Amino acid sequence: MSDEGIGAYLNPAQMSKLNRLALNSRYVVEGTLAGRHRSAQKGASTEFADHRSYMPGDDLKRVDWKVLGRTDKYYIRRYQDETNLRVYLLVDRSGSMNYTSGEHKTKFNYACTLAAALGYVVLKSRDAVGMYIYGEKMDAALPCKNSFNELNNALKILQGYKPAKGTAGADVMHQIAESISRRAMVIIISDLLDDQPEIIKAIAHFRKNHHDVIVFHTLDPVELSLDIRRGAEFEDLETGERMIADPRAMAKEYKDLMGAFIEDYRKSCSEMKVDYRLVKTDEPVDTFVRAYLEERKRLSR
Amino acid sequence: MLVFANPMFLWALTAAGIPLMLHMFQRRKTVVTPFPTLRFLKAAQKRSSSRIKFENFMLWLLRTLLLIMLGLAFALPVLRTTAGGSWLTRTRRDVAIVLDASYSMNYELDRGKVWDVCKEASVGVIEGLLSGDRVCVYVAADTPIPVIEKPTTEHATVVQAIRALPCLPGSSKLDETVALALHALEQQEGRREREIYIMTDGQAVPWQGFRDAAKKEEKAGAADKAAISREQRDKVSFFALLAGALQPDNACPSDVKVTPALLLAGQSARLNVRVARTGTAKQITVAVEVDGQERGRRGITADADAESSLEFAIGGLEPGIHVAKVTTPQDALPDDNEFLFLLRVRKQLPVLIAGPKEATRYLKAALAPGAADDSVKQVEAAELESVDLRDYQAVFLCDVFPLAGQSVMRIEEYAKTGGVVIVFPGDRADTAAYADMKILPAQPKGTVDIPVELAARPLKRIPNQKDQVVNFNLSLPPGTVPTVALKRVLTLGELQENAAVLVTAGDGVPFMTGRAVGRGRVFMFAVAANRDWSTFPLTAFFVPVVHQLIRQGAGASVQPTHLVPGSNIPANESIPNYREDDAIATPSGAQLAVKDNGNRTFFIESLTEPGIYTRAKAGAAQPEPVLAVNTDRFESRLTPITPQELTEWTGFKKLLTAKDPEELTRLIDEYRNGRSLAEVFLWIALLLSLLEWWFANRALRTQTGATEKMTVDLAGKVVTS
Repeated sequence: MSDEGIGAYLNPAQMSKLNRLALNSRYVVEGTLAGRHRSAQKGASTEFADHRSYMPGDDLKRVDWKVLGRTDKYYIRRYQDETNLRVYLLVDRSGSMNYTSGEHKTKFNYACTLAAALGYVVLKSRDAVGMYIYGEKMDAALPCKNSFNELNNALKILQGYKPAKGTAGADVMHQIAESISRRAMVIIISDLLDDQPEIIKAIAHFRKNHHDVIVFHTLDPVELSLDIRRGAEFEDLETGERMIADPRAMAKEYKDLMGAFIEDYRKSCSEMKVDYRLVKTDEPVDTFVRAYLEERKRLSR
Repeated sequence: MLVFANPMFLWALTAAGIPLMLHMFQRRKTVVTPFPTLRFLKAAQKRSSSRIKFENFMLWLLRTLLLIMLGLAFALPVLRTTAGGSWLTRTRRDVAIVLDASYSMNYELDRGKVWDVCKEASVGVIEGLLSGDRVCVYVAADTPIPVIEKPTTEHATVVQAIRALPCLPGSSKLDETVALALHALEQQEGRREREIYIMTDGQAVPWQGFRDAAKKEEKAGAADKAAISREQRDKVSFFALLAGALQPDNACPSDVKVTPALLLAGQSARLNVRVARTGTAKQITVAVEVDGQERGRRGITADADAESSLEFAIGGLEPGIHVAKVTTPQDALPDDNEFLFLLRVRKQLPVLIAGPKEATRYLKAALAPGAADDSVKQVEAAELESVDLRDYQAVFLCDVFPLAGQSVMRIEEYAKTGGVVIVFPGDRADTAAYADMKILPAQPKGTVDIPVELAARPLKRIPNQKDQVVNFNLSLPPGTVPTVALKRVLTLGELQENAAVLVTAGDGVPFMTGRAVGRGRVFMFAVAANRDWSTFPLTAFFVPVVHQLIRQGAGASVQPTHLVPGSNIPANESIPNYREDDAIATPSGAQLAVKDNGNRTFFIESLTEPGIYTRAKAGAAQPEPVLAVNTDRFESRLTPITPQELTEWTGFKKLLTAKDPEELTRLIDEYRNGRSLAEVFLWIALLLSLLEWWFANRALRTQTGATEKMTVDLAGKVVTS
């Protein structure tokens, strides 16, 4: 197995688990190719959409003769267009993503693996996948392609990045929201450790542009529980600030704060009809993706 | 006063500063840990800082206190209970040991009898004395017994004497014995420490004398004598060993009542047995034996800490004296499980009729209808001087007055010692003839002839107060009124002391009077025993009345079925037909000492030994049982005294109470040397260390993250489990 590209993140066994899965959009999308996702455009398909009055120049084959017989007026039958899905993966490589409690991957590595898994699923469904990598700024913007080679190249590029020092997640997300012109699916893979209201605004920006947004809030288990048994001098991964603390003494307060932080994101996402998922880095990626997609499929019925 | 046996270790108290020093000079190993959510850590620290400060302060306090306690414990602190502290260990002392020898001391504990425990504890006290210390020993019984009267330095002799002491069957009076011991110590010269050790089973009864004495003192006010006594008492240190069971368990027969009091051959005796119970309610079996053969066995649920009673019927008893006993099952206190008593069964009641034949004819016919009946003897008045009246249960005097002075004296003595005298007047005597007889219910004033038209008189029984004279009842067919025709009656003067009119004949005319004289009874009729004065001898109720008088009068003078130990007990009242030359043997075979008080009254000097007392009978192979003596059951109701009651009743200023010999030894040691607090300090240190461990690990326990798992449900919600 190659150590580059998708092979660096997923092994064949994991890929085979993901083979029959599909990532469906909950909203209409605007693709460039014909596909199995509902399009905002009317076009040629078997699924009836609506009628409109006949206008000179329209193809006579599309006149609804039955309606003409009943109403003595000319109407054109319109059909729902079906197009392919464009999925944009936003991978956060801010400084805080460089954290691991020791037993698992860093959050950044996990995010990369998750991006690879999702990209693989999307391409298997003959949809297109693009990628944005950002840290303190927009690092890379890879356009949507429905080719495994393109995904492989994108992942190689991702592999070349290390976590940055700081973060500018909200600004970059606004920038990305502006750059995606047509309705698509946006998947944000980040720990969201930035200015929370600004991040929420950025997510809202995507929704404003009619994108189907999924947020994978990626966190290390220790970040959630503060299960650290010894006091130490803690150094912030982004600001470099240090403090001496005994985690045992303040675990309860910490967990309260962290719980409130997560709950705020969850509530905001729910209000914006954004699919929010908390992902812990101790969960196997393939299992998580599989469980998530199955659940999404079940809920969309 | 707190002193330290090992003050060098007080330097260890400086270790109390170690936690503070460690805190101040601790070089923190700053292990830098990268962390992404430092802002949450900072906020959490801000929120919890006051709590953390408090916890840290508590930890510092606990650790400092722990080290202080350890330092103090190793310095061996000793609490002096007396100011004299170390001086007390070197001073000479006079010690009195008071041993309670009541039968409740025979209570069986797991470690042996209480009596043996107390004796060994006494030996332990003596062995703990220094040479030159003096000791005396007193035994508390019904009367105090000085074993070693004056304090002596011969400790080995005293120990030997104590070990040879037997437990006594009676009860005990600790107040009198302690007073005697106190007196013995006060007689000693020189300034010495005085200590009195009271070794008892802790029952309340022997201490009650203290309470009664205290009440008397209160009533008497601040009398000088009492004040001095209290002052002297306060100079002495008292140690009480209450070695008995804290929750004693005992059941015993406490009393037996035999009815009827006078048992005749062929008659059934009814036994009312009382059973005293100490402890919870319990099913027990009570058995009755007569002459060694079981005559009854019944189960009873003895009520908790109370007395219960049950009855037995014993029939078919032959004439004679039968030794009987009631037994309860063996328990921890075996001394009171048997209750002895005597059943005196008589073949018949011998009667003496004195008077001329014409006056006694009807009476003799009524009492001895068959010619062969030898239980009734008739004599002339003059023969009364030569007849031994004690051989007869009742003596009828029919028209015998005036009597010779000697005869009057003998009749009076006979009545006082339990005989029944029944007097019928007659024509021979005038009123003055009765004057010498002082035991009559009333002195006659004269005679009155009754007119024929007023002759018929109904007899009416006058109930006398509580039937103290005789429980008299006229047995007549139902529905009839006893009527008698009177020709002449004796009129009476004022009733004497203890006298009562028992029967009237019409309008309050006394027909029969009675009087209790000593242990005997005297009855006097207002009519003659023949038909000269009335039709009374011809009536249907003459015979039953006369029989009842004899039987019931005799029953009132029956000797008790059992006695309890005591002193100066009248022998005439206790022993039937006691004569001065009788030799009474105690249960152990010794001769019972009986004192002649003159005037033919005899007293048993001291009755201490429980069991059957016998009298050798001329011509009989077996001695005759005469007395059944049981230990009194005061102490069978085992009620432990509480230390509070003990202090309150005795009023001892310096009183230390122990429940077992080990505690007594510790108390003595603490009294003389002081009480070591090292153990207490070590316990506190252990407690503090546990508290510190708990407090230090409290944060870990409350931190759920160490064990809990935070998971995410499909809705993306954080779920902690």
